[in-house]
Amino acid sequence: MENMPAPATCGAVGTTVAPAAAVAATPTSADGAPAPAATASAAAPTPAADAATPAPAPAIQFECACKRFGDTVALDDVSLSIERGTFATIIGSSGCGKTTLLKTVNALVTPDGGRVLVNGRDVMQADPIQLRRSIGYAIQGSVLFPHLTVERNIAFVPSLFNRKDTRRTTAAVEKWMEIVGLPPSLKGRYPAELSGGQQQRVGIARALAASPDILLMDEPFSAVDEITRAALQDEIRAVHERTGITILFVTHDIDEALGLGERVLVMEAGRVVQYAPPREVLAHPATPFATRLVARKQRVYARG
Amino acid sequence: MISDMFSLLASRSGWFGELLAQHMAISFLSIALAGAIGLSLGIGIAVWRRGARPVLALVNFVYTIPSIALFGFLIPVTGVGNATAVVALTVYALLPMVRNTYTGIANIDLRLVEAARGMGATERQLLYRVELPLAAPVVMSGIRNMATMTIALAGIASFIGAGGLGVAIYRGITTNNLAMTLAGSVLIAALAIAVDALLGLAEKRLRRTFAAGAASAGPGTAASAAAGARARRKRTKRPVPSPSSPAAHTHPALGRVRSWSRRGIVVAGAVAAVAAFAAGAAALMRAEALRSEGGAGGVLGGFLGYAPNAGSGTSDGSAGTIHVATKPMTEQYVLGEMLKALVEQHTNLAVEVTQGVGGGVANIQPALEKGDFDLYPEYTGTGWNAVLKHESAYDESQFDALRSQYEELGLTWVGMYGFNNTYSLAVRSDTAYRLDLSTYSDLARVADQLSLGAEPDFFDRQDGYPGLSQAYSMEFARTMDMDIGLKYQALLGGQVDVIVVFTTDGQLAESDVAVLEDDQGFYPSYRCGNVVRLDTLQEHPELRPELEKLEGAISDADMARMNHAVETDGREPKDVAVEFLAERGLM
Repeated sequence: MENMPAPATCGAVGTTVAPAAAVAATPTSADGAPAPAATASAAAPTPAADAATPAPAPAIQFECACKRFGDTVALDDVSLSIERGTFATIIGSSGCGKTTLLKTVNALVTPDGGRVLVNGRDVMQADPIQLRRSIGYAIQGSVLFPHLTVERNIAFVPSLFNRKDTRRTTAAVEKWMEIVGLPPSLKGRYPAELSGGQQQRVGIARALAASPDILLMDEPFSAVDEITRAALQDEIRAVHERTGITILFVTHDIDEALGLGERVLVMEAGRVVQYAPPREVLAHPATPFATRLVARKQRVYARG
Repeated sequence: MISDMFSLLASRSGWFGELLAQHMAISFLSIALAGAIGLSLGIGIAVWRRGARPVLALVNFVYTIPSIALFGFLIPVTGVGNATAVVALTVYALLPMVRNTYTGIANIDLRLVEAARGMGATERQLLYRVELPLAAPVVMSGIRNMATMTIALAGIASFIGAGGLGVAIYRGITTNNLAMTLAGSVLIAALAIAVDALLGLAEKRLRRTFAAGAASAGPGTAASAAAGARARRKRTKRPVPSPSSPAAHTHPALGRVRSWSRRGIVVAGAVAAVAAFAAGAAALMRAEALRSEGGAGGVLGGFLGYAPNAGSGTSDGSAGTIHVATKPMTEQYVLGEMLKALVEQHTNLAVEVTQGVGGGVANIQPALEKGDFDLYPEYTGTGWNAVLKHESAYDESQFDALRSQYEELGLTWVGMYGFNNTYSLAVRSDTAYRLDLSTYSDLARVADQLSLGAEPDFFDRQDGYPGLSQAYSMEFARTMDMDIGLKYQALLGGQVDVIVVFTTDGQLAESDVAVLEDDQGFYPSYRCGNVVRLDTLQEHPELRPELEKLEGAISDADMARMNHAVETDGREPKDVAVEFLAERGLM
């Protein structure tokens, strides 16, 4: 139960907002910012492991994040911690707030209430440009820039900040092309000259080129055929194993969610109803919605 | 006609070259200005979307103002001449620029914009690296449209006294010289086509990056790349889809824009702007050099308007420049050349003649009062009605009143040429002889046996047939509407007996016709003289005696003869003018 989202008690001041384990926050996070949440500190007065080995802040923390678009509730008091290095998949029916949740992390969406912390730091306090450059972002259909070559697409983020250091950028491009399985001969191609699968790989390489420690992916493989998708899933899993970065991966495909994620985050109407390892989601779906979602897989799992 | 045109182009290549240079100066400067302003404005409203609707509505509105009217509005502000032309052309050219820039940016796939933003591009980087390169083809087509349109529209600039090939077109029309009109039009068309081709070439060069990329991606390489990918990733049982199949999620419209790199655009834009300015400046200097040997004080100053003060403070030994305007009428072209030849011959003054200012007095008068022009030939009756706004008909007994009222405007009349270009009635000489006709009263006696031909409006106007028949109790047996160009033929061919003419019509010089005398003074008098600024006369006292040398020197018949020489014999107004002056011992 430690990974279940906190009860929706966000309205009240001073209540615990995140599971205790998640709140075991350090007084000094990676960038030297003060302890992330005052309320959390109250709940856990002193870090368990004193000054010796301060546990790092969770990669991403949502604290009572709310967002409405007109009458639609996209995020309804979401509180959740995603530990460093986790490959988390987000599953839910369309319109349940998956994409909105993702976009609050790189400040493309501003929550109406609550906070989102990245590496222990409130994204609202951060410079959005610097924040986004430090977070990989791959969106549906990869959306490559049609006027740039493969090389320059991948180099897009590095070129935004170190435009002088072309050698380093070139090295990064080559490294990531290799990691995602793109032959170097494609460097000079334009996106329209690539196959669908190649385009997705370029999209992943582009998202990773600046070596972020967090990668956000919004249904990145939805536009490719089954075979290619399987290959790409292998590729992203390999990337995760190799780099150990935190990945937040939105999908509407339960197979993909259960197959890729170390943790699966189930969303329903703007709420996080379950956040647990795939096995636990399969064994103990938290709500009727989650039950329906995994029903077919459960039979397979039961048999297996 | 075509061969006429070519021989005209050959024989007057210097003059056409000068007009072409002026045309290029005016249109290229406008293109560069509109390009810079339109691009900025288009980007501005693409970024600040709330401004898009009002700004587009405004430029749309301005675009719909007829060019003639826009010139009219601008004259009180920017005067007559090149400055007004550049302002008006720039304003017109804004619409295609603003609209294409805005449309180009606004139609970019929003996911691309969000991807760039989500990866940490600043608004500036988003604009320069993504939005502008992707909008470039649409912007470029806007620039090409705009350039062609501006070059064509610059032909109208001569209407307000600016230079350019429109001068040839307009003069061709007003002096019945079709070859000249055609030559001007052909040169404008050629210029527009050449500029469009150059822009097309520039566009192509900017795409060369893409061309190189596409060439290296032949089917062979694609296949081997696919094979390589397959070999390396063993888990994949089937080859990756062929690279030749276009990706479904790539916006089809974006397919052709790939090569527009940011740097390419910036360079191209800069090169285009510099080239346009340089070409404009070069053409301008050439034009200035041709027009008056070193007369222009400062290229831009000399170019942008006629600013007489700038011109009069000279450093090259000439005593100053007199700016003369003429109306778009053959006889005024001749008078303009006559004034130039006379004044430049006998004084140190330079004379710059702006021939055939469109709209005539309506556009010349404000420019004269403003000081853009120093003098122009005008007709007393026109001054009385059109400038002083009297309702009554003018006769020459009112000349002192006319002059003193002009002096209240800082203007006066100097050098009445002698001829009176008014309406009159003409008959064939044999008719005059047979019926013993010399006056309108004589004609009234026998009008019931004769037919009258005139332009349709003559029969409606109070100062036309109704007034005439009342004043002289003159009723013709038959009246006939006819086109102005046909009435002499109709008279000589015997289809009509009497026609309405202007007393200096060129055809009067060769036709065997008698102009009858308006013995009761029904028609207002339209004696021709120079309207001159008083302060010009004061500043250049040597000017008045020159103008007075032509006092009474040109009769109706003389003027008709000179009009005939230009309109029918196709001679140059300048040659006709100089020849006349020499004949009278004035040169």
